[in-house]
Amino acid sequence: MAEQPVDVEPGGQNVAGEAPAAEPEAVTDDTTVHDDDVELERTIGLVGGLAIGIGTMIGAGIFVFPGLAANNAGLAATVSFAIGGLIALLVALPTSELATAMPRSGGGYYFISRGMGTAYGAIVGLGLWLGLMFASAFYLVGLGHYASAVFAELGVGLPFSPVIGIGLLFGAALTVLSIGGTENTAKLQNIVVGVLLVVLTAFLSYGVLDAFGVFGRTSVPEQFFSRGYFPVLTTAALVFTSYLGFAQVATVAGEIKRPGRNLPLAMVGSVLVVTVFYVVTIFVATSAFGADRLGQFGETAMVEVARNLLGLPGAVAILGAGLLATFSSANASILSASRAVYALSRDALLPRKASEVNLRYGTPHVALLAAGGPILALVATGQVELLAEVASFLHLIMYGLMCVALIVLRRRNPEWYSPSYRVPGYPVLPGVGALASFGLIAFMQPASIGIGIVIMIVSFLWYRYYAADVTLKGDI
Amino acid sequence: MTDRPSILVPLRVLEGESVPEGVPELLANAHVVLLGYHVIPEQTAPGQAQMQFEERATTRLDDYETIFEEAGATVERRLVFTHDGQKTIDRTIHEHDCLAVLVPDATGAVDDVLVAVRGTVGIDRLARVVAGVFGAVDTSVTLYHVAEADETDEDIGTLLEGMVDRLGNLGVDESRIETRVERDQRPLDAIVDAAEAFDAVVMGETDPSLVTFVFGMPADQVADRFLGPVLVVQRELALNEEDE
Repeated sequence: MAEQPVDVEPGGQNVAGEAPAAEPEAVTDDTTVHDDDVELERTIGLVGGLAIGIGTMIGAGIFVFPGLAANNAGLAATVSFAIGGLIALLVALPTSELATAMPRSGGGYYFISRGMGTAYGAIVGLGLWLGLMFASAFYLVGLGHYASAVFAELGVGLPFSPVIGIGLLFGAALTVLSIGGTENTAKLQNIVVGVLLVVLTAFLSYGVLDAFGVFGRTSVPEQFFSRGYFPVLTTAALVFTSYLGFAQVATVAGEIKRPGRNLPLAMVGSVLVVTVFYVVTIFVATSAFGADRLGQFGETAMVEVARNLLGLPGAVAILGAGLLATFSSANASILSASRAVYALSRDALLPRKASEVNLRYGTPHVALLAAGGPILALVATGQVELLAEVASFLHLIMYGLMCVALIVLRRRNPEWYSPSYRVPGYPVLPGVGALASFGLIAFMQPASIGIGIVIMIVSFLWYRYYAADVTLKGDI
Repeated sequence: MTDRPSILVPLRVLEGESVPEGVPELLANAHVVLLGYHVIPEQTAPGQAQMQFEERATTRLDDYETIFEEAGATVERRLVFTHDGQKTIDRTIHEHDCLAVLVPDATGAVDDVLVAVRGTVGIDRLARVVAGVFGAVDTSVTLYHVAEADETDEDIGTLLEGMVDRLGNLGVDESRIETRVERDQRPLDAIVDAAEAFDAVVMGETDPSLVTFVFGMPADQVADRFLGPVLVVQRELALNEEDE
């Protein structure tokens, strides 16, 4: 790839007198180049990118949502997941184009602030940070459910529900671990994702064959739209949290090797992979039990499905997989949240201190604490559906605005904007992506929408107070 | 300038690695590619480390650049923040077309140098490094070859004489060149043992194999055991050698 100049000059100062850090001079396949002789190495390959995307996503849709989704929408929850996947894909394609034009840390926040200006950027950036916290909290509560199920499986009777306690414990442990500097987290993530995919493929293949009566069992007859049509959409809005991972790939866009090729492949690829897994999972789960009973099992419904199909070994395998998956999702989200804090403080929307690196471990302790601390407070609420929806809301706003940013940039066509991947079907596809993203919000619970809007307003006020003078938008 | 070999000098600049004594003089006739790098954990964005450490690292590199230039070398420099130091070193070798990498260790005046000659592969680059770095100074050069069981004296003679000729053509005074052949020894141990009597070592990098995967590259092992500086001559990169 030829060197690609990123000709955006941020300016202005925040209240504390800090100016946004200078933009790099060039972006190559291997590095981001500053001032001619300072380089930031790109070290994440395609496999690493896919592992971030899939690893973040696979936890929620398979291990937390099947029971909840089936309860809401019946067998038609498969359609809900398919709708979610379609919207994710409609957004992943424009995101890919933006990411190849601006392969910089911060992902959606970066694209929107450079394409549409600081105000939008601030709302999205702070929203992304908070959205990732809500998502991490949601994964941790899911992890708590799985860990409790392990206790139940071992026959340990506890006088209280350990779900929230365990979620808090793991949340704190993850924060401490990432500050203390765990080595090889990325390699570990690759292995975890590989193991998960193998376990799930084996399990789901068996389940599908079983659902079609290959093993001589009669599956539960199921009416497709047993709950009607409207719940299919509300369920799609709820389970959309399962698709937030591809945006996490963009938050590390500055560290991806050969970004022009690997970013689109990692984002689109991970969305396609998880969509297939989700749809098949819901199909297998509802075929095994029927939506009503599945719904009663709640967050750990998949354990019961596995027990039903394969007995105790199946249940144990899925319990283990569920723990791994929710853990890796939470871990990936905390790390992305700290990358978001870095991007914001680099641009002077948050104090520079927020991205300070710890001398002893070389880790961004302030940013990690800023992510980890609030997550614990959110976990304490224990509200799975609310946490998931607020996370979805904040991400959907960002997704919609990314599509808009793409249209804005293509229309303005500034000189520096030369993506190596161009989205097909412009302007229809990004237009539909924006509408679908904003449209899905309408099907959320009023409480989630309310919390989301409050967060957006607070973000905007923060920007007006703290960084009103900062300009980030690229040249027109 | 054209016959100055490019030598990479990598330094973990923020972790106290500095240019050891004697090294600037050793590379006085080389084109030094000074690579300051800082390895950060995966949970930190490289840009984050850059915001905080760039100034400090730049100041140190400025100093080192001056030291090398005062010794007579030409200098080019990079500062890289990375998750993967080896990738950074490999890329820099490639991008700057470095003939060799210096594994720095303190040294006094270099009066004699041991050049491990392995075979005909890569011998041209080996010769260019030796001639470029030691040709203009009166260092005595000892060509050292550890023979394999099925190698005849004739083969060895041809190999080493060829090397002497080549060095002569590149302007090295042939009277300063000696040759030494060893048999029935493990090459690695032989080189390390022989090296003790010398001030510096020049050797080639071998192709990675299962053995090197387990025990590390021979050059690294020699560098670990030898107390002076080691110049590791790089293989020529195959054109299709790209990962992923």
